[in-house]
Amino acid sequence: MTNLVLVPDVLVVAAAMLILIAGRLGWVPRSSRRYLPAITAAIALVAFGIELWAGAALTTYFDGALVQDRFALFAKAAALLTAAIVLAATDWAAEDSLSIGLAMPLIAAFGVMVAASARDLVGLWAGLELTAASAMVMVSLRRPDLGLRLLVAGAVGSGLVLIGLAFVYATTGNADLPLIQGVLAHTIPTLPLAIPVLLVMSGLAVRAGIAPFHSANLSAGLGGSPLGAGMLLGLVAFAVAIVAIKLTAALVAVSAVYSVFFEVLAGVAMLGGGAAALAVRAPRMRLSYLAVAQFGWVAAGLATHYRAGLAGSLFLLGAFAVAATCGPAVLGAAGGGEEAVHGLAAVRPARAAGLALAMLSLAGAPPLAGFFGELAVGAALAQGGRFALLAIGLLGWTLGLVAAVGTLRVLYIQSPLEDARRGAAAALPVLSRLSTAGVLAFCLVIAAYGVLANPIMGLADQGAEALGLR
Amino acid sequence: MNPLIGLIQAASPTPATVPGAGIFSSPFLLSLMVWTPVIVAIAIAVMPNPRGRYDTLIKQIAFFTNLGLAFILFIAYNQFQNFLPTAQYEEKLPWLPSIGVTYHLGLDGTGMVMLVLSTLIGIASVLASVGIHERVRSYFCLLLLTQSAITGAIVARDMFVLILFWTAATIPIALLVLGWGGPRRVAATWRLVGYWGLGTAALVAGTMILYSFTGGKTFDMDTLLKGTLSSRIQLTVGIVMLVAAATRLPLFPFHGWIRDVTAEAPVGVAVIVIGAASRLGGYLLIRTLVAAEPAAAHLLSPLVAALAALTVGYAALAALRSADLRHAAAYLALIPGGITALGVAGVTPLAIAGCVLSLFTGGLAAALIVGVSATLSERAQTRSLSVLGGLAPRMQNLTWLMVIAGFGLLGIPMLATFNAELMTFFGSFKSQPIGAFAVAAGLAVAAVAVATLLYRVLFRQPNPDAPGVSDSALSETWYLGLLAGALLWVGLFPSGPKIPGTEVPLFDPGLVNQMSAGLADMASPYSGPTP
Repeated sequence: MTNLVLVPDVLVVAAAMLILIAGRLGWVPRSSRRYLPAITAAIALVAFGIELWAGAALTTYFDGALVQDRFALFAKAAALLTAAIVLAATDWAAEDSLSIGLAMPLIAAFGVMVAASARDLVGLWAGLELTAASAMVMVSLRRPDLGLRLLVAGAVGSGLVLIGLAFVYATTGNADLPLIQGVLAHTIPTLPLAIPVLLVMSGLAVRAGIAPFHSANLSAGLGGSPLGAGMLLGLVAFAVAIVAIKLTAALVAVSAVYSVFFEVLAGVAMLGGGAAALAVRAPRMRLSYLAVAQFGWVAAGLATHYRAGLAGSLFLLGAFAVAATCGPAVLGAAGGGEEAVHGLAAVRPARAAGLALAMLSLAGAPPLAGFFGELAVGAALAQGGRFALLAIGLLGWTLGLVAAVGTLRVLYIQSPLEDARRGAAAALPVLSRLSTAGVLAFCLVIAAYGVLANPIMGLADQGAEALGLR
Repeated sequence: MNPLIGLIQAASPTPATVPGAGIFSSPFLLSLMVWTPVIVAIAIAVMPNPRGRYDTLIKQIAFFTNLGLAFILFIAYNQFQNFLPTAQYEEKLPWLPSIGVTYHLGLDGTGMVMLVLSTLIGIASVLASVGIHERVRSYFCLLLLTQSAITGAIVARDMFVLILFWTAATIPIALLVLGWGGPRRVAATWRLVGYWGLGTAALVAGTMILYSFTGGKTFDMDTLLKGTLSSRIQLTVGIVMLVAAATRLPLFPFHGWIRDVTAEAPVGVAVIVIGAASRLGGYLLIRTLVAAEPAAAHLLSPLVAALAALTVGYAALAALRSADLRHAAAYLALIPGGITALGVAGVTPLAIAGCVLSLFTGGLAAALIVGVSATLSERAQTRSLSVLGGLAPRMQNLTWLMVIAGFGLLGIPMLATFNAELMTFFGSFKSQPIGAFAVAAGLAVAAVAVATLLYRVLFRQPNPDAPGVSDSALSETWYLGLLAGALLWVGLFPSGPKIPGTEVPLFDPGLVNQMSAGLADMASPYSGPTP
């Protein structure tokens, strides 16, 4: 039974490898577009089911390098569900390579799973890099120049993280997270300790593309394929948040060091993201900024550095991962300008509903997933007496809501573009049974997240508890 | 007590058991009221409607859904036990126990008043929307979602649930104005979303402050609004909640959205926004300020009275200067909100009772003036007051309804607003004499504004250059008649009609009686010292 816990990881990696090899050897014919995405999504879904069924077992693997606890269960389940939905909802006609496009989300999800299970610094870093690299591959497929830019920005982020982690290791003499937590338990925060912690957190912020470090990620996301953009916005940020949560828990004794940093970061992201979302009109760009704003809420939860806050962040993170990853994929090729989605509800009702729900959830509109998550973080901020940050967040939230309403208007109230005026940049998503089912599944998950908030929040709370937080 | 007030406030000052009340109870009655419109909206959204073939059916579904809800409410209203101080028809399920969120619904007297109002307004708004011919499916889906959100906000007994529904109302209303509004709809929508968004942010902030200072364990109103807080915290929460309420009600200077939204929205939407959605502001003030923070209510009462006076005075002067009928109606629709605010400022049991009643009467009066003006300007093919004139002989139905609407705003005897205004003024003259006098003076100016408006539109010499006019259609007469009828009914029978020679209610236990459930508890901190 305990070995079953590894089955989802194995399934995902094996499927990704098989698809990549088959693609490299030319065994993936064009006709496989009709069934291969469905098979891959089904594999991810099966892995998700096994994770939920068998993942409740608490155990360790590989001499304690990987651990299966409630935190890992929550994060792995969220990553697998996100991968399954995004694979199903993607408009494959708008993607550059079927085999790479199918494999990379699986690899990215695997990266998140590694980071979520990691018990030491190396595992955290490896998981993060795996996810980030797969997103970079997706962006490079269409725009090698942007891929290069992402590589440089990623290298900066990765370098900062590595240097910081090395300092932490040097200071504590351990790479194991629970041991680091134990060593630092009675430590007074000092400048030599603050510097590496801030380096790690800055590196993570660059990796996540959170404002004000968002320029490289954002332009890459805007230039990439829909799936690439979704992975960059959603799964990579998800992996970063997972790493940040685990590190935050391990370094909780010196929370005074990173708390202010997270507060500033969160404030800038929440307000800046909301304001920028209002200022732009192109749907993919607006989605990106709304995602930045919601990620700010996740960071705000981390700033509280106690169990309720981290549980709120984790709860929100699940909603964020699904909406931010699947949003651009649901949008398909029609993300270039606002005109592309004029009256989308009339010609592609399921896609329009999916995009609307993604926007609204990222904006924190009720009664969707993002609303519950942001309010949960808001409650934690209030409990911690961080009313200034809460006020900034609420202002950003209001701006984001206004922006989302603007896109809803375009989707549902404007008339669709005439076919003659619809260029390549405004191409409608191609209809297929799988993509329609994927979009509907996405809508269901976003809507049901609030209804099932109790068990999901309960699991997130147990996840935060598993990290040793009170 | 003044005999007139005694007559109005309640036939039985100590509410007694109504025969037959409390027999029927359902564990999900309120959920049924909240979620039925959502389910119907989803059903409408997915039903096939090739080239608008079933547009009429969609309208009928929306109407009969509202009629069904009214029937359920009628049962709930008659079964309501007005002598109980606690919430009734309660539903309580854990939702997010780790942060203390419960799906907690319940109804007290104040909630019942609001629920009756929102149900009546719901029927009126569907009837007023019969003339919609573009994207009928989307329109009625959004309208039903709006109704659901308003009902949810009324029956919520958990602040988290209240925030959820309060915020949820904004999005469908904004889309309705954007999609089916007049030429300035874009500006109107952004103003609406901006002001309401600010109000929502204030509501969340106030709730979080309460949550934090009551131990951070629960959002349940029973705990959150009954915690012992210092005057400083009460004052902070009170100010924040006042901002939230003032953006909705709206009160001066947070009224920036009302003119454009009321004038640009389609009639049905304008009716529901002004009649029900905006009354949630007053309801919030009663729930979170009057019932929860007596110290803050006392401290803030001069400020609230000043806002009430400014609102009524500004509304009257702006209506007087307006050259557009729908703009004038929008300004006049501010007046009931000012009366409600005066009741809050009065902080006496009588003023609070008047305030609660004014939620109902003010909603009806405001919806009626906005609705009749919109319908009249559609039928007369112009909104310009310089073009309109002498319509009374040619628009007899609308003339009567407009006169009733004008009288309703001013609180003329026999209309329900009279009862509410009398209680509010009598209750607040002692505690806020300057404020009450200023509001009364504002009402005097409003009377001039209403008289001028009625004269210019209805009774002066007809304009030979004006376009052709026609009287209201059947559905328009019905929805306006419903609003006017409700104003008259509660005005004539505030405590319900009785079987002659007995104290047994005929079929309506009386709105004033039903609203008294829980009112004594709410007003107890404001009762004078017992001799």
